[in-house]
Amino acid sequence: MAEFTLPANSKVHDGKKWPSPEGAKRTKNFKIYRWDPDTGANPRVDTYTLDLDKTAPMVLDALIKIKNETDSTLTFRRSCREGVCGSCAMNIDGTNTLACTKPISECEGDVKIYPLPHMPVVKDLVPDLTQAYAQLRSIEPWLKSETPPPDRERLQSPEERAKLDGMWECILCFSCTTSCPSYWWNGDRYLGPAVLLQAYRWIADSRDEATGERLDNLEDPFRLYRCHTIMNCTKTCPKGLNPAKAIAEIKKLMVARK
Amino acid sequence: MKRIDTDILILGAGGAGLFAALHAHKADPALKITIAVKGLLGKSGCTRMVQGGYNVALAKGDSAVRHFMDTIEGGKWLNDQDLAWLLVHEAQVRIRELENELGCFFDRNPDGTVHQKAFAGQTFDRTVHKGDLTGIEIVNRLAEQVWARGIARLEEHRALALVKTPDGSALSGVLMLDMRAGNFVFVRAKAVLLATGGGPTMYKYHTPSGDKACDGMAMALRAGLPLRDMEMVQFHPTGLLAGPDTRMTGTVLEEGLRGAGGWLVDRDGKRFMAEYDPKAERATRDVVSRAIFDTIAKGRGTDLGGVYLEMRHLGPENVRRQFKGMVERCADCGFDLAGDRVEVVPTAHYMMGGLPFAPDCTTALPGLFAAGEDTGGVHGANRLGGNGVANSTVFGGLAGASMAKYVGAGAALRAADETAIAQAIAQAEAPFGRKPTDLEAIREKLFETMWNDVGIVRDASCLKRAEASLEELDASLDAAGVADGDRAFNLTWADWLNLKNLVAVSKTIRAAAVARDDSRGAHFRADHPEAGDLAASRYTLATLVDGRAQVTSAPVAFTRVRPGQTLLEAEAAE
Repeated sequence: MAEFTLPANSKVHDGKKWPSPEGAKRTKNFKIYRWDPDTGANPRVDTYTLDLDKTAPMVLDALIKIKNETDSTLTFRRSCREGVCGSCAMNIDGTNTLACTKPISECEGDVKIYPLPHMPVVKDLVPDLTQAYAQLRSIEPWLKSETPPPDRERLQSPEERAKLDGMWECILCFSCTTSCPSYWWNGDRYLGPAVLLQAYRWIADSRDEATGERLDNLEDPFRLYRCHTIMNCTKTCPKGLNPAKAIAEIKKLMVARK
Repeated sequence: MKRIDTDILILGAGGAGLFAALHAHKADPALKITIAVKGLLGKSGCTRMVQGGYNVALAKGDSAVRHFMDTIEGGKWLNDQDLAWLLVHEAQVRIRELENELGCFFDRNPDGTVHQKAFAGQTFDRTVHKGDLTGIEIVNRLAEQVWARGIARLEEHRALALVKTPDGSALSGVLMLDMRAGNFVFVRAKAVLLATGGGPTMYKYHTPSGDKACDGMAMALRAGLPLRDMEMVQFHPTGLLAGPDTRMTGTVLEEGLRGAGGWLVDRDGKRFMAEYDPKAERATRDVVSRAIFDTIAKGRGTDLGGVYLEMRHLGPENVRRQFKGMVERCADCGFDLAGDRVEVVPTAHYMMGGLPFAPDCTTALPGLFAAGEDTGGVHGANRLGGNGVANSTVFGGLAGASMAKYVGAGAALRAADETAIAQAIAQAEAPFGRKPTDLEAIREKLFETMWNDVGIVRDASCLKRAEASLEELDASLDAAGVADGDRAFNLTWADWLNLKNLVAVSKTIRAAAVARDDSRGAHFRADHPEAGDLAASRYTLATLVDGRAQVTSAPVAFTRVRPGQTLLEAEAAE
């Protein structure tokens, strides 16, 4: 049956406004999404004011400072702090990106921080990525080759290796996938840009012998073709990669083999 | 409390943990394998952060024996030679497994073979790589394989304590904290692998990821096990100096930059490495870090307290192509690595020390296996760049097979010492009963203590000072509280648990540094600057008894080659 009301917890309220630091000359407000599964309350946006002269440059630095000095209950995911693990992907200033490599100075006005859009939330800024990982699993992201490998590495040219540039660098932060309106709408069946970029990585791998099988697996009105070249994925990728191009390459191969 | 039984429990999901899971599964797909990780599988730990690459002798003219000799010379003869021997030989197996079975696609030479680049302290260009961010490729491929198999995952679970049997004769399982829910879980296993990765994050400048807190080593100490070579903390010479407070400071700029011909220059733009070592910038990490430290101490450092790394003489375009990841990392912080100079400072990077283990990855405690940075012995006094990920993948794989064999030979689930479980829970919950405290002040003090007094250059008096500081910090932690509101995903609680572990392990680093009254590799005593008699080399063993570190030592067994000898001539003669 059609649902005519918003789902539970979709209304976000204004939350607590924490006091400004005393004597600060340059301040900035951080408006941060807060939700605690245990209380049953709707999400809220808490406001924290930081003294920029005492805050290190990145948004992750600000989050850690708030957690350490103002509100010990603030929760977020982070690991490497240098843009290679993708744990701290979140929506900052309207764009999905990595908190560790996003300079505060790039955010105009208040810094609004939300979890990755349209993903279930574990708590505060922590998304549940279970489904995204299951989708990654579905494209069978590993080398498939019938030819037995030599007793050394397979000989491949630097040009063959270079075909993977722009794809192997993907850190699976899912910033692109969760920026895609098509994924918001059909995320249960559309694979989304991050997973399709990985799918193309294996298709483009000169050692892989399962291109036909891989394309068969994507030949589906939803899995691949819900990409409508909106291009949010490419615009948002914090690593500067181009998932939209990878998807276009897959679509081209689909046409070419007909 | 939730209880889980499994055949094999793996703590950690870096190169060692993931490889162990795969090899155990390969040995016997019917085994119930559980892998527990503090973050998300594939996103946590330091293997993913590997930049430079993977040392392995593949090319014509190179050999495993040459790799072995470089490893032993680099380790200043403190290595466990049988482990180092295994490392260099098994790396040749593992790299092909990574390429041919797991699907890693490393950079290539024009003739189609894998490209190997120059790293410091090595007599041959043998570092296999993928651009300058090799870890992304390795961990993504490993994680995919683990996801593809029926391997149970406990993500965002941290291990709190190794729990033995009531008589203390063997390991029963591991008490864990499900961080998402804030609940305790006891996982009983026939075999447990300690592969949490060390990670010297107790130093002001450090490279490892923020979730590293020496958990594995701290748990081993609390279980009464000794750790070897703890004084050996590697400082990577070129940590990015991006300004005070930012988490980016301390992140590493890879060794290949020096390997490719990068220069280190002082505030006046003058190169200084040749004053310290004939190999100049391509000397081993310990030598370069100390030279930078000394140059700064002589007043030749930059205003921020570092030196400059300069690449532009190699051609900005060339640098941009060859070191794309590093150029972008610097650009993230507003610096131009290709066309300008970047400020760097030595940064705590890796712990050569850790739990002693046998070639089959068993330890002194039946049921406990170990691999990767949690272990000691492979690298001796200094790890060669590129030997780290080789170590974790080689021994992770061996541990997986070894645990499967152990379980297959009839190892059973063992009853746990319930009192020990209750005690460990009480210990973890202790801060909730107390008034919330500023934990960051404690962390800052730990950073300063370790950096200033147990850092790149040490002497008896600063180590003495550190003893009192660490005792004081431990006491502050025992008095510190955490607000007991919501325990689910409580990062502040995690901070307290992390700090407890870091202080425990810091005590053993300090005590081992006191005990070693010579200077070897990463350990430099200003009051004992000589290496001492290599033939009489001893390694340290530190334990923690009632919160106090005690150190003994044992002679290094030169099972393959003695100081002053080399195996290269023997090899050439064959």
